[in-house]
Amino acid sequence: MKIGIPRGLLYPKYHIFAKAFFKALGAELIISPATNKKILDEGVKLCADEACLPMKVFHGHVAWLRDRCDALFIPRFMSIEKNEHICPMFCGLIEMLKSNINGLPRVIDEPIYSFHRDKLFKWARRAAAGITSDRQRIKAAFDRAWDMQGRTSLGYRDEYDLKIALIGHAYNVFDEFVNMDIRKKLNKMGIGIVTGECVGKSDIEAQAAKLFKKPFWTFAKEYYGAALSIFKNSMADGMIYLSSFSCGIDSVVTELIKIELGDFPFMVLKLDEHTGEAGYNTRLEAFADMLKRRRAGFDNNLSQYGQCGICRTRSLPGA
Amino acid sequence: MGNVAFAARALCQGLEIPYVMPEKNNKGTLVTGAYYSPEEICLPFKIMMGNFLECIERGADTILFVGSCGPCRFGEYSELMMKILRKMEHDIDFIVFDMSPEIGIGEIRRRLGKVLERSPVSLARKLSAVKKAMKIQYLCDRLDRAAYLKAGYEARKGGCKRLLNEYKARLYECQSPEEALNILKLYVKKLASIEIDKSKKPIKIAIIGEIYTVIEPFSNLNIEEKLMDYGVSSERMLTPSWWVKDTALKPLKLNSLRVSRAAAKYLPYPVGGHCKECVGEAYLAGKKAMDGAIQILPMGCMPEIIAKSILPTIQKDTNLPVLTLIVDEVTGEAGFITRVEAFLDMLSSRRKKPDMAS
Repeated sequence: MKIGIPRGLLYPKYHIFAKAFFKALGAELIISPATNKKILDEGVKLCADEACLPMKVFHGHVAWLRDRCDALFIPRFMSIEKNEHICPMFCGLIEMLKSNINGLPRVIDEPIYSFHRDKLFKWARRAAAGITSDRQRIKAAFDRAWDMQGRTSLGYRDEYDLKIALIGHAYNVFDEFVNMDIRKKLNKMGIGIVTGECVGKSDIEAQAAKLFKKPFWTFAKEYYGAALSIFKNSMADGMIYLSSFSCGIDSVVTELIKIELGDFPFMVLKLDEHTGEAGYNTRLEAFADMLKRRRAGFDNNLSQYGQCGICRTRSLPGA
Repeated sequence: MGNVAFAARALCQGLEIPYVMPEKNNKGTLVTGAYYSPEEICLPFKIMMGNFLECIERGADTILFVGSCGPCRFGEYSELMMKILRKMEHDIDFIVFDMSPEIGIGEIRRRLGKVLERSPVSLARKLSAVKKAMKIQYLCDRLDRAAYLKAGYEARKGGCKRLLNEYKARLYECQSPEEALNILKLYVKKLASIEIDKSKKPIKIAIIGEIYTVIEPFSNLNIEEKLMDYGVSSERMLTPSWWVKDTALKPLKLNSLRVSRAAAKYLPYPVGGHCKECVGEAYLAGKKAMDGAIQILPMGCMPEIIAKSILPTIQKDTNLPVLTLIVDEVTGEAGFITRVEAFLDMLSSRRKKPDMAS
């Protein structure tokens, strides 16, 4: 049996688990190639216009796999921490795909509640249903996959003199096509990248606990907590938030972060299928220049990104 | 938010808590709100922010707000609003009611107590005030519903619309819950006496979509009134009184069973917002052989984008044409009207030639 795994959305976070699990069950795996222009174009064509870029990219990956496998593994992440949700789009992703793409093979779409090992094991039993009925084998495969996933870590922590914290969804930060290899671009300018994964879980929780209401999105909690920890512990000289256009979570989180940062350099880079590389480069270069000048100490004649938005004056422009 | 303001005001009047009645939503509200709101947040946030700022200007010092706990953005509104108002140096008491399991029943009671301690009246009168407010809400929704449905059948065009606007204007001026109830009862009778022409076969449209934008006429550029002008009957399930009932029945899982059942085939798992309702209503509208449905959503609304992706399947299965209208602060009225008119034209020509593909 050939199982297709689309290389989109949270793939960088779960691929080790998924690959190990299905391989140990005896399935043959086929994984879509790294995102490229063709996949993106196909996804844009199939997906609803209003959806965010990663959703469109994912549609492209699924379309690529459609005729190449017997079953598709599309995780339906409902909740990855207790009493929290992730983005609503993930819960309805499968319905969107089924509605938008014709002729999908069988989809392994059991809902995943992965905050507890036992809960995830329940998923594993159901997901393995069409592949093998050997319970011992499922158990062994699950244990092995769980173990391997536990030993991996994700994230960048470059050792450079100047460092930028790169915050955002895993599918923006780790997909080099989507973010136009931002890491390489910045490294070339002599700037290193620190990602949110460098911040410990307890630090994230501590920062999130300071909010009036604990965010119910796991993503929101992680990004907010990581960004503020990096800022408070001076782990970076500036911060870039890679955000997908029309992402509901980002629209809230970027604001919450912005309010706390004061005059710390902070830039939001919006990504969608129309993002041109030239404009993207210009913004990165300008941000890098600003950081370098700031480091050199003549910062005063430059505009301070992050100060506008909600200004202290109450008058409207032109009024 | 639509007619909720009337019921909320009646509640404050009954509890004898001083209140500030916001102006009817207008361009100014939205401009102010959008200016102080994050760029990419959805339209309801921007309008609400505008309402708050207007009310603060006129002396409000406390904001009551409801919350949810996801997964739609609405649950994070309160956090962001509080921070923005604080940043603007407004000293506002922001009281949030939400059903998050984390805050616990004690905290909810504390917050409720904070509101009720300002009310000098006895418990019995408090309860009666709540009852009256609910009654007002219910009557408003009933009036609206009847008028939107009747508009297609009325013998002399424009009667329903005139009555609707009249009762709203009079409610806006009224000073006590009793007076409001009397006005509403009067208009229920008036509406019932409007002459209808049973031989008419008007186009019937279901209004579905995101709850705020379907309820608040300003945010959807008054679409229901426009449909009345065209002599089209419209129906909408989502109303504030529906919301109250739905929220009350949610813990028992007895809320909107019919819609849930209809949506289950297309959407087996909850995704938040009112996606399930949107999908279910569309399906039911198709089964009832209504002429079409109009989905309204604010730009970037995540649950409704999922619904929008599923709607084409429902269109195929039930042969129901759906028009999706996305609103935000830059929606132009002319383009909006053109799309609605084109849709209505298509529906009426479809009636003449039922075999024509949509």
